[in-house]
Amino acid sequence: MGKFGQASAFIGVAALACFILSMSASAQGQGRQYNAADIQAGDRLYGLQCAICHGQNGDGINGVNLPRNQFRRASSDDDIRNTITNGVAAAGMPPFRFQPAELNGLVAFIRSGFDRTGAPFKVGDASHGLAVYNANGCATCHRVNGNGARTAPDLSDIGSVRQPAAIQRSLVDPNAAILPINRTVCILTSDGRTIRGRRINEDTYTVQLIDQQERLVSLEKSAIREYEIVKTSAMPSFAGKLTDTDIADLVAYLMSLKG
Amino acid sequence: MRASVRYVLAFAALCGLSSAAAQVGPDRIINAAREPQNWLTYGGGYDSKRYSTLNQITPANVATLEQKWVVQDQVFGAWESNPLVVNGIMYLTERPNDVMAIDAKTGKLFWLYRYNNSPDARVCCGANNRGLAIHGDTLYMGTLDAHLIAVDAKSGRPLWNIAVGDPKLGYSITMAPLVMKDKVMVGVGGGEFGIRGFIAAYDVKTGKEAWRFNTIPGPGEPGHESWNGDDWKNGGASVWVTGSYDPDLNLVYWGIGNPGPDWNPDQRPGDNLYADSVVALDPDSGKLKWHFQFTPNDGYDYDSTQVPVLADMQWQGRPAKVMMWANRNGYFYVLDRVTGKFLLGQPFVKVNWASGLDSNGRPIQTPQPPGMPTWPGNQGGTNWYPPSYSPRTGLFYFSVWENYATVYRKEEQEYQPGRNYLAGGYTVVAPAPGAPTIGIGRRGPINNWTSEVGSGATVAMDPHTGKRVWTFPQYDVTDAGMLTTASDLLFTGGREGYFYALDAKTGKELWKTNLGGSIVMAPITFQVDGKQYVSVISGHTLVTFALRN
Repeated sequence: MGKFGQASAFIGVAALACFILSMSASAQGQGRQYNAADIQAGDRLYGLQCAICHGQNGDGINGVNLPRNQFRRASSDDDIRNTITNGVAAAGMPPFRFQPAELNGLVAFIRSGFDRTGAPFKVGDASHGLAVYNANGCATCHRVNGNGARTAPDLSDIGSVRQPAAIQRSLVDPNAAILPINRTVCILTSDGRTIRGRRINEDTYTVQLIDQQERLVSLEKSAIREYEIVKTSAMPSFAGKLTDTDIADLVAYLMSLKG
Repeated sequence: MRASVRYVLAFAALCGLSSAAAQVGPDRIINAAREPQNWLTYGGGYDSKRYSTLNQITPANVATLEQKWVVQDQVFGAWESNPLVVNGIMYLTERPNDVMAIDAKTGKLFWLYRYNNSPDARVCCGANNRGLAIHGDTLYMGTLDAHLIAVDAKSGRPLWNIAVGDPKLGYSITMAPLVMKDKVMVGVGGGEFGIRGFIAAYDVKTGKEAWRFNTIPGPGEPGHESWNGDDWKNGGASVWVTGSYDPDLNLVYWGIGNPGPDWNPDQRPGDNLYADSVVALDPDSGKLKWHFQFTPNDGYDYDSTQVPVLADMQWQGRPAKVMMWANRNGYFYVLDRVTGKFLLGQPFVKVNWASGLDSNGRPIQTPQPPGMPTWPGNQGGTNWYPPSYSPRTGLFYFSVWENYATVYRKEEQEYQPGRNYLAGGYTVVAPAPGAPTIGIGRRGPINNWTSEVGSGATVAMDPHTGKRVWTFPQYDVTDAGMLTTASDLLFTGGREGYFYALDAKTGKELWKTNLGGSIVMAPITFQVDGKQYVSVISGHTLVTFALRN
C-alpha cells in the first residue's frame, strides 16, 4: 500500500468516525440539524397556514411565542409535530394534516427563531455545551447569571434574544455576526484621555460605553477628539478550534439561557 | 357704596360682552397668516407651509427658551398628534381617540372627551391620531374604527358621529380632517388590508355625505384601465395624511397611499392609479381635475401620503403656483398646481429602484434582482412627517432617512376580507443577519441598531434646483415634522428626543434641549397675551416653551 492508499484509508476512517459521531448524537436526540431548505419551506407554510392565528411574528397567541420557542405544551421537536398534527381542541387550534417533510419544515422554521434568511444550524447537548463554555474561557469576557466578566455582552438571556444560527455564526465567524452596537470603540478625548470599551448606546450628541475596567462611561461627542469604531470583533473565532459537535453543544447551552 | 354699584354694573356689562368671540370659519383659515397667534389647521393654514409670521423668538434670544407647562399623555405609544390653537385654547388628541381642550397658557384642561372605538378597529401601524379640524365651535376627528365625529369645542360633547368606512374590512382614520367652506373632508387608511381607498366630504353641520372620490377608479371611469381584472376592488390607495387647499383655484390636493397587496406588484399589473399619486379635486363636487403619479405599479410601499406644500414663486422667470413634494420614493418634486405639470424632480437620497425620471416625471424603474437591496428602504427617503416652506428663505425643509435599504420578497396572496393583504415581506439591510433594524417607531431608549442601518437628517432643499442647501445630521432616523418662523428659525426634533432650533438659512444649531422621548409630530407656534409659545410632543409629554420672563 503506497502513500496514496494510506491517505485514502485515513480519510475513510475519519469519515466513519464523523458518521459514528453524528449517529450517536442523533441516537441521543441531541444532534438536531436544521437546513436552509427546511427552514424556508417552513416559513412559506407558516405564512399560509399558521400566521392567521399565530401572527406574522409568531406571538399572536397568549402565552405562546414561537420564534422564542415559548410554548404552552411542546418541548421536543416531536412535541411540536404532535401539537400541529393533533391540534389543541381546548384552545381552538385545529389538527393539521401535513406531510412529514412539511412538519420538518415548520419545526425547523420555529427552531430557527423565524430566521427568514434560512441560515442552517445545528443544536447539540446543552449540558456538554456548558462544559465547553467553561473549558474555553468564555467567562473571561462574557457573563452569565452574575458569573464572568462584563467586557463582552452578558449572555444570561441570549437564548431569548438571538436566533440559534446567529449564535452559531458568532462562534465561527464573529466578525460577520457581531451586532453593530457591540463594536469596540476607541476614543481620544479633548483632554487627552484614551478610552477603549464596548459601545452600549449612542445618539447625535453622546456615546455610552463600558470600558475595559468595567466602568460605565458617558461622553459628549463635543469632548471627543478622535472616535474609532472597530469593525472587527474582539471575540476569537472557534472555527477549527472546536469540533462541530462542541459548537453544536455550545449553541444548545447558549440557547438554553432564557434570562 | 355708589362706587361699588358702579363697579358691579361695569362688571356685568363686561360679562355680557365677553362671549362674542369671532368663530373660526373658512375665511379665517384662508387668511390664517393674518392671525399667527392661532394654529387653525393641521398644516397651520390651507397651504400647509407650517410657516409662522410670529417673530418674538429670534436667533438671538432662542437660547433663553424655557419650559412653561407640560401635559402628560394618559396612554402609551407614539404621540403623532398636531395641536390646534384658537384664541388661547389648544385642542389636542391623544391615542386612540381622546380629545382635550387645554388653556394654551397654563396647560390646564377645560375638558377631555374619550371615544371608545369598536373592537373591530384594526390598524397596520399603530393606534395613531394626528389631530383635529375646527369649524365654528365644532371640532372634527376621524377615529380608528373609521368614524367621523363632530365634538362641541366648548363642552367636549359629541354632536354627531357617522360611519365613514367598515372597520371589519380594515378601514380606519388616523389623519386630521380638513374643513373648507361648508364641508369637512377626510380620507381612509387600511392600505395593508386590501381596502379600496376614498376621500369623502360631509356637511359640517349634519355629517351628511356630500360626495365621495374613490382613489381607485371603478369600471368605466378614466384610470380604471391601469388595473387588471378585479385587482382594483382591493387595491389599497389609502389616504392617511391631511391634504392642502388653494382657495383661488378652488382645488384641494390629497396624497394617496400605496397600492395593495404591498409587496407584489406582479400580482396587480398596470400603473395602479391613483395609488402613489397626488390628486387635485374640486371641493364642491369631488370631481378630479388632475393627477400626478409618483410611483406607478409600486412594489416598495412608497405611499405618497405626504403633505402637499403650496407656494407662489418665480419659476424660470415667471410667477408660478407650485406644489413642493418630498416623496417617500426618494425624489423631491415640484409640480405646477394649476395643471399638475411636472416641473422638477431630483433624488434627495440614494435611489436605485429607478434610474431617473423622464420629461413628464415618470420614473424609469430599475427593479433590483431578488435578494438585493433597494434604496430607499420601505419607510422611504422621507414619509408622512410634515415639511415646511419658508417664503423668507425660499427653502423647503423636511426629515430624511439616509443610507437605509430594504430587501423585498414577493409572494402571491389571495385577498381575505379584513386580513393583512401584503403578498410578501421585507428585510431591512443590516450589517449582521438578525441584527436589530429600523422601522415604524423607535424600539426603545437604547439604540442597538446604530447608524449602520440608517441615520436621519433635517434637510433644507432649494426647490429651484432640487439640491440640498444644508443638512443637519442626526444619529438615529427621524419622524419629526418642521416649523419655520419669520425670524428664520426652524424647530424640529427626532427619535432621540432632542428638540432643536436651527438657523433656517444655514442649518446651524442655535438651541437644543433633551426632552427624552421620540418627537413624532411637527412643533407648532402660537401667541397668547402677547407672548409667543412653541409646543412640541416628545414621548408622552407635550411641552410648551416661551422666552424667559
